[in-house]
Amino acid sequence: MIMSRLARSGRGGIALLVIGLLAALVLPWLIYPPVALDIACWALFAAALDLLLGFTGLLSFGHAAFWGGSAYCTGLIALHGGMPFPVAILGGAAFAALLALPIGFLSVRLTGIYFAMVTLAFAQMIYFVANQWRDVTGGENGLQGIPRELFGLDLYDPFFFYYAGLPFVLAGLLAAWRIVRSPFGRVLVSIRDNPARARALGYPVDRYRLLAFVLSAALSGTAGGVFAIGHGFASLDGLYWTTSGQVVMMVILGGIGTLWGGAIGAGVVVQLQDFLATAGFEGIGIVTGSIFIVIVLLFRRGIWGTARHLARRRGLSPAGGSGGGPAGSPGLARAPASPRPAGGPPGATAGERC
Amino acid sequence: MRITGWSGGLAVAGLLLAGCGGGPGGGGKISDGGVVLAVLNDQSGIYADTSGRLTIEAVRMAVEDYRARYGDKAVAQKIDVVAADHQNKPEIANSKAQELYDREHADVILDVPTSSAALAVATVARNKKKVFIDVGAASTELEGKSCNKYTFHYGYNSYMLAHGTGSEVTKDGGTSWYIVYPDYAFGQDMERTFSAAIKAAGGAVVESDPTPFPNDNFSTFLLKAPGLDPKPQVLGTMHAGGDLVNLVKQYNEYKLRDKGVQLALGLLALSDIHSLGPDALAGTRYTTMWTWSMDDQTRAWADKFQARNGKRPTSNMAANYSAALQYLEAVQRAGTDNSDKVVEQLEGHTFEDMFVRNGTIRAQDHLLLHDAYLSQVKPSSEVKEPWDYEKVIRTIPAAEAFQPQPDPACKL
Repeated sequence: MIMSRLARSGRGGIALLVIGLLAALVLPWLIYPPVALDIACWALFAAALDLLLGFTGLLSFGHAAFWGGSAYCTGLIALHGGMPFPVAILGGAAFAALLALPIGFLSVRLTGIYFAMVTLAFAQMIYFVANQWRDVTGGENGLQGIPRELFGLDLYDPFFFYYAGLPFVLAGLLAAWRIVRSPFGRVLVSIRDNPARARALGYPVDRYRLLAFVLSAALSGTAGGVFAIGHGFASLDGLYWTTSGQVVMMVILGGIGTLWGGAIGAGVVVQLQDFLATAGFEGIGIVTGSIFIVIVLLFRRGIWGTARHLARRRGLSPAGGSGGGPAGSPGLARAPASPRPAGGPPGATAGERC
Repeated sequence: MRITGWSGGLAVAGLLLAGCGGGPGGGGKISDGGVVLAVLNDQSGIYADTSGRLTIEAVRMAVEDYRARYGDKAVAQKIDVVAADHQNKPEIANSKAQELYDREHADVILDVPTSSAALAVATVARNKKKVFIDVGAASTELEGKSCNKYTFHYGYNSYMLAHGTGSEVTKDGGTSWYIVYPDYAFGQDMERTFSAAIKAAGGAVVESDPTPFPNDNFSTFLLKAPGLDPKPQVLGTMHAGGDLVNLVKQYNEYKLRDKGVQLALGLLALSDIHSLGPDALAGTRYTTMWTWSMDDQTRAWADKFQARNGKRPTSNMAANYSAALQYLEAVQRAGTDNSDKVVEQLEGHTFEDMFVRNGTIRAQDHLLLHDAYLSQVKPSSEVKEPWDYEKVIRTIPAAEAFQPQPDPACKL
């Protein structure tokens, strides 16, 4: 049965994968390359958060600590270590994972709003450390002039750097996809849906959550590192709570528990910010805020989630595509449960009905 | 305001068409068919009032004045003004600056408040070899560690603000100080300069306290002030924006002025006085780079500005006008908009205009040295017309107003 489902979802899945890869490859031809790189970085960051929010059921409001922390670490390695940028990015990702270990250890015992608050508090602590530690971080001026070299090759042109940074983003997305599809990922989903039962079955729930937290942080760190090298600086902005909020918003816009939805959310938000910057309109927050409200009220599954839901209802449901067990396709099982961490049960049923 | 913005745009467009029809003039040496001035600043956030969209209008006024002055002899016949909102985010400033230089063919970027954003744009300017004249940011790092051949710092910086207020108010007899400053790079730098200036002028700092940033309750610090030993005569503060508004309101609530503690500020914008009301700040001394009511020349320009925009200009807007005008003058002298040639013309240039008095652009670090002013807020009884809140007490000569020596960390 599993084989047949793989084969069935495989054809559509492969087609989507090819489209996604093509989109990633031609993006800097379509839009301004530095903006394309921003989208790629935020897409990975959103996927990393979705790993935690969508597949483990934990809403972290402190992921800026890993994105921004890695940005500083990557920058320092590239700036003072004279290392080529891939080493710096890996160093940054490792730093983010190390940072996530104690933070996660202390936070994963909590869930829901308490988990969100504790992670937010830790992220704000990191922010204040970076703000005060001026000799290392440059304070509010940020860490400026991070080099972007690879074995003597100057990658200053953002068009070329996009292709230099893209492999990291794709590798990160692939890792997230593999994690979700692995037996480990299945356990995470079961913990999300019913932690008491998972515990009763003998799974050490907290340890699973911690590992998911650390993996998510490492992927966020990878994204933050590419972002820092791409822009040539790391700033306090990356550590501020608004960064955590922005990535949560991207995931919700794209669709919680869809993994790829985050990429769409990232594309929408980054493009919107870029467009509004020169649109001559003074209320940027009003526009992004209104779009967010509309999506949350009308499309609870997010852009990708809604699209997939409609496609399933039209094409695949007669063939029994959605008839299988929830463990087979976590994204599908996600829809009713997804708004739970943020919204509450009434929304979930409403979403299911429409 | 939107309507005036449109009509302003139409006027510029009309002038552009006229300029194109005007024949070859000095053409040929101008890249991409024209000179493009780009304003990159905050149009939706905390600096939207001090800088924002009216700054773009100020830059347009500079373009018109340049045209009026040179007419057919103008080297730059076709001049465009473009703008972008960086939302105070350094990464948006970074990509927008690249886009402005690459896609809009901007020859110069102006304004850019927020230090981290300004420093990011300075790096872009260095890499693209294009001119960047920063007005809005206060960080001295722009002419220090992060200086480069194509970056200029125009108008004010944290040294000017702190040194001016610190030494001038001490000379006027306010010799014992209590300092509160926001605990981040800008505040820390200002506190250092402030203390040094006070001591050099013969005063003493009783105590100096960092406050969290951002912060909305300053009662701990304000209540403590009158009880310090010896009692400070002046409360010096380095806060800006919303924090300053909160601090000033509480300063008045606790009636510190009646208790003999004067208020002295580093940075104060006309728009801040307007929103707080002059009585909340009456008697407060601060350092400024320009005031619209300073003399006849500034008044004439402010009248023109008000006729267009319905408001009096802040010093930041005037500084951007001047920066745009001096850039165009440099293009005129160089006969081209080639960055290296224009930089050559700007370096060491000595000049005066509506905004700048006794100005020199120091060749070693690209910092504009010019007269600054110790000013005081008038009580409402002395305010004779709308927006007339400021009184210049004394001119601080250009040689004293800014860092006397270039930062050795700056290598152009």
